[in-house]
Amino acid sequence: MGQIAAREPGVSDRRVVVTGLGIVSPVGIGVEASWDALVAGRSGIDRITLFDPSPFEVDVAGEVKGFDASAYMDAKDVRRHDRNTHFAVAATGEALRHAGLMGDNGRVTDEVDADRFGMVFGTGIGGIGILLEGQKTLDERGPRRVSPFMLPHMLPDSASGQVAIQYGIRGPNMAVVSACATGGHAVGEAMETIVRGQADIMLGAGTEAPLVPLAFAGFGQMRALGTPIDPDTGEYNPAMASRPFDMTRNGFVVSEGSAVLVLEEFQHALARGARPIAEVIGYGSSADAFDMAAPAERGEGNQRAMRAALTRAGIGPEGVDYINAHGTSTPLNDKYETHAIRDVFGEHADRLAVSSTKSMTGHAMGAAGAIEALVCAKVVSTGCIPPTINYRHPDPELTLDYVPNEARSTDARVALSNSMGLGGHNSTLILRRFED
Amino acid sequence: MSRPPPPRDPARRAVVTGLGAVTPIGNDVATFWSNLTAGVSGVAPISAFDASDLEVRIAAEVKGFEPRDWMDFKQARRMSRFAQLAVAAARQAIDASGLQIGDHNRDDIAVVVNTGAGGLQEVAIGESTMMTKGPDRVSPFMVPMMSPSMAACQISIQNGIRGPVIASVAACAASVQAFVEAQRLIERGDADVVIAGGTESAIMSVSFAALANMGALSRRNQDPERASRPFDANRDGFVLGEAAGILVVEAAEHAEARGAPILAEIAGGALTGDAFHISAPDPSGYGATLAMQRAVRDAHLEMEQVQYVVAHGTSTKLNDATETKAIRSAFGSHADRLAVSSNKSMLGHTLGAAGAMSGLAAVLAIRDGVFPPTINYETADPACDLDYVPNVARKAAVEVALVNGFGFGGQNAVTVFQRYLG
Repeated sequence: MGQIAAREPGVSDRRVVVTGLGIVSPVGIGVEASWDALVAGRSGIDRITLFDPSPFEVDVAGEVKGFDASAYMDAKDVRRHDRNTHFAVAATGEALRHAGLMGDNGRVTDEVDADRFGMVFGTGIGGIGILLEGQKTLDERGPRRVSPFMLPHMLPDSASGQVAIQYGIRGPNMAVVSACATGGHAVGEAMETIVRGQADIMLGAGTEAPLVPLAFAGFGQMRALGTPIDPDTGEYNPAMASRPFDMTRNGFVVSEGSAVLVLEEFQHALARGARPIAEVIGYGSSADAFDMAAPAERGEGNQRAMRAALTRAGIGPEGVDYINAHGTSTPLNDKYETHAIRDVFGEHADRLAVSSTKSMTGHAMGAAGAIEALVCAKVVSTGCIPPTINYRHPDPELTLDYVPNEARSTDARVALSNSMGLGGHNSTLILRRFED
Repeated sequence: MSRPPPPRDPARRAVVTGLGAVTPIGNDVATFWSNLTAGVSGVAPISAFDASDLEVRIAAEVKGFEPRDWMDFKQARRMSRFAQLAVAAARQAIDASGLQIGDHNRDDIAVVVNTGAGGLQEVAIGESTMMTKGPDRVSPFMVPMMSPSMAACQISIQNGIRGPVIASVAACAASVQAFVEAQRLIERGDADVVIAGGTESAIMSVSFAALANMGALSRRNQDPERASRPFDANRDGFVLGEAAGILVVEAAEHAEARGAPILAEIAGGALTGDAFHISAPDPSGYGATLAMQRAVRDAHLEMEQVQYVVAHGTSTKLNDATETKAIRSAFGSHADRLAVSSNKSMLGHTLGAAGAMSGLAAVLAIRDGVFPPTINYETADPACDLDYVPNVARKAAVEVALVNGFGFGGQNAVTVFQRYLG
C-alpha cells in the first residue's frame, strides 16, 4: 500500500495545467527578465546591500534588485508588511495578469468564482525581518512601543493572507512550511487540491526574504555558505560563490524572491479561453527521518520522492528529459542528489539534462521550489534549458550532464524539479509540455 | 458553488486510533480530558519569564513538562520548546494507537504537524547572542531549531517515519488544516497512517507585547482563571496559551487489519479564505459559514446531523460574535439545537495548537458522550445567543462534531469528526 494508489474515483479526470506565471528574483523582476537572465547565464549574486555585511565571513547574497514595493501595494500596506509579503503580492499580480485573471479593479476578475480559487503559498521562515524589528523595539523602548501589526505580519502565513486580501481570492488558503522543500510542496499540494475537486484555480507559490544579519550568523555557523572567491584566481568574485556540482563547491548562497504558478483545472481553463503553458502531472513527497540538517546518504529520501512523483505521473524514468536539480552547491547535497538521480533513473540518467539554476539565483529557501517549478514550466514550453554556471572543474564522482555554462536548445517535454529541506523534507514535481 | 464531493472509498476512510496531549491542563490525554470536562482553568500568572513590565501578565502555560521523559537529553537541547511538546504528544499518540513503526511500514506513514510560528525563542536568543557576543557565537543549531517545520521533522526523525512530512502555518487555523490534510493523504493513498496535529509555544515577552498592543489579549491579570470567557458579555480578549495535540489518523482498512482501537472518523473538511483583513475576521462571517457548509458536505452529511460544534471561541469581542453569526447562517434553524462550546475558556488560545485541542475534544466527546463546557460564562451577550454548554459539562450521545479554526489573515478551516460505525 502507500504510494501506488490510484486517484480517487470521480476526480481522476481532473487534469491540472499552468495558466500563469509570476516571479520576483535576484536575476530579475518579472518572468521575461528572469528567464532572459537564466538563459544568458547571468548571476544574480552580489555583495549584500540590505545591511552592512562586513562582520560576516560570507558577505554575498542573491538580493532582489530595484524592487519598489509601492508599485504593487498601497503605502500603508508596504509599511506594515514584511518584505516576503511584498514579493508575494508583486509576483501574484504578474501571474494573475498573465493568466488573464486580473479584473479592472486590481482584483481577481468576476468571470471566475473567487470561492473556488485558492492558494498554497509557502515560505521557509516568513516575516523574520518584522519579528527582529519587534524584538529590537521591545529591548530598546519597552513593550508598549511594539507595533500592534507585528504579530499578524510576522507570521509565516501573512503573505498568503495578504495576497488573498489584496486580490480577493477566497478559496482554500494554506501556507506550507518545509524549509527549502517548501516551494515543491506548495505547488504539489495546490495541484492535489484541484484534482480532489476542492478548487478550480490554485496558486502554487513560495516567497522568502531571509536576508537579515541573523541568518548569515546562523548559516555561517553551520558552515553552510559558499565563499565568494574565484577558485582559480583566488580573487573576490560574488558571482562565483554558487558553484553547484563543481568540484570546488563549498556551500550555498542565501537569496530572496517569490514565484507564483497559477494552476487550473484543464476544462476550466479551456472554457474561459486560457492558454495552458504546461501541465503538472506528478508530485511526490517523503522524509529522510535521518537528521535535522544533513541529507540522508545517496539521497535515499529524495529517491523515494522522485519515484512517488513518477508513479503519480504514470510515467517511467525514461519519460523524463530534464531535471532542475535542487543543486544547492553544498558538497553533500550535490553528491547525494547525483547518487539519487543515478539510482532512480539507471541508464537513462546519462541521457538526462540536469541543471541547477541556483548557480545564478542562489538559494531562495522557501521560494526556491516555486522558482524552479516556474523554470520547469518555461523549459517544457520552450525547449530551452538554462545552464549550471560556474561549472569549471568536474567532480570525478559527479558524472551527469549538468548543462555546463551555456543554455541549450532541446525538445525537452517533461521536466522534474527536486526540492529538499532541512529536517529531511523532500518534494518532487513533474511538469509536461501542454498537449491536448 | 462547490461541486459534490467524490464518492468515498470505505477502505480509505480516515479513522483516529490514538491521541496525545501536552496542555495547560494536563500533560497526558486522561488528565487533559478529566480537567476539560471538570471545567478546570489552566490560566495563571506567567512563569516562563519575568513579565512584570508587561501589560498582560497571565498565560495558559504547560506546567511541569520534562522533555527528558520523552526524548534523550541531547536531542531535547537541540529542539525548540514547540518541537519538544510535539514530540512528547506524538509519542503518547503512537503508543496509544499501538502502532509499531518498522521497515515494513515506515515509508507509508506521514507526519502533518502544523504551527503558528515555530521556534520564535531561538530567533530572539540568536539575535541577542549576535548583538552581545558577535555572529560567530550564534548557535549552529539556531536555523534548524527555529524552522516552523521542525516539530514535524523531529517526529519523523525520532520515530523513523519516512513518508510525506509536511508542515503548514495558518496562524490559529493551523492544526485544523492538519486534519484536513491528513484525511487527504489517507484518501489519495499517499500514506496509510498520518501523525497529525499542531503545536505552539510562543510564551515570550515579544508575543505578549505585540498581542497586547493589538488589543487582542485579556487584561484580567488579577483574576487569571476567569480571564478567558468566550461568548460571555464581559469578555475582553484571549489568553495566550501553549500546547501540543496529536492524533494518529489511519486508513480504516489499515486500522482494522491491525485491530487498532478506532475512536472516531475524520469525515470531512474544508478550507476557505475571508480575503478581508490581516487580523480581524470578516464581520459577515461569510468565509467561516462557507467553510462549515463545505466541510459538512465533504463529509457526505447534512447540517442537521451535527450535534456539537467545538467553537474557535477565542474570547475576543469580534471573534465570538462573528462566529455565532456564521454558525447561525451555516446551520439555519438547526443552530438552536446545537451544543457549542469553547475549550479556550480553560486552555487559553494555543494558536497553532488550538485546532488540535479542539480535535482532541471532538474525538473524546464522541468516545465518551459528553460535551465539555465553556467556563466563565456568566452574563449573556445578545450577539452570542447559542447554547454554549455554560460552565458544566453535559452528557449526550455525540455522533457528529464539527471543529472550527479561524486564523489571522482570514484563514478558515473546518473539520468534521464522526462516530465510526464500520
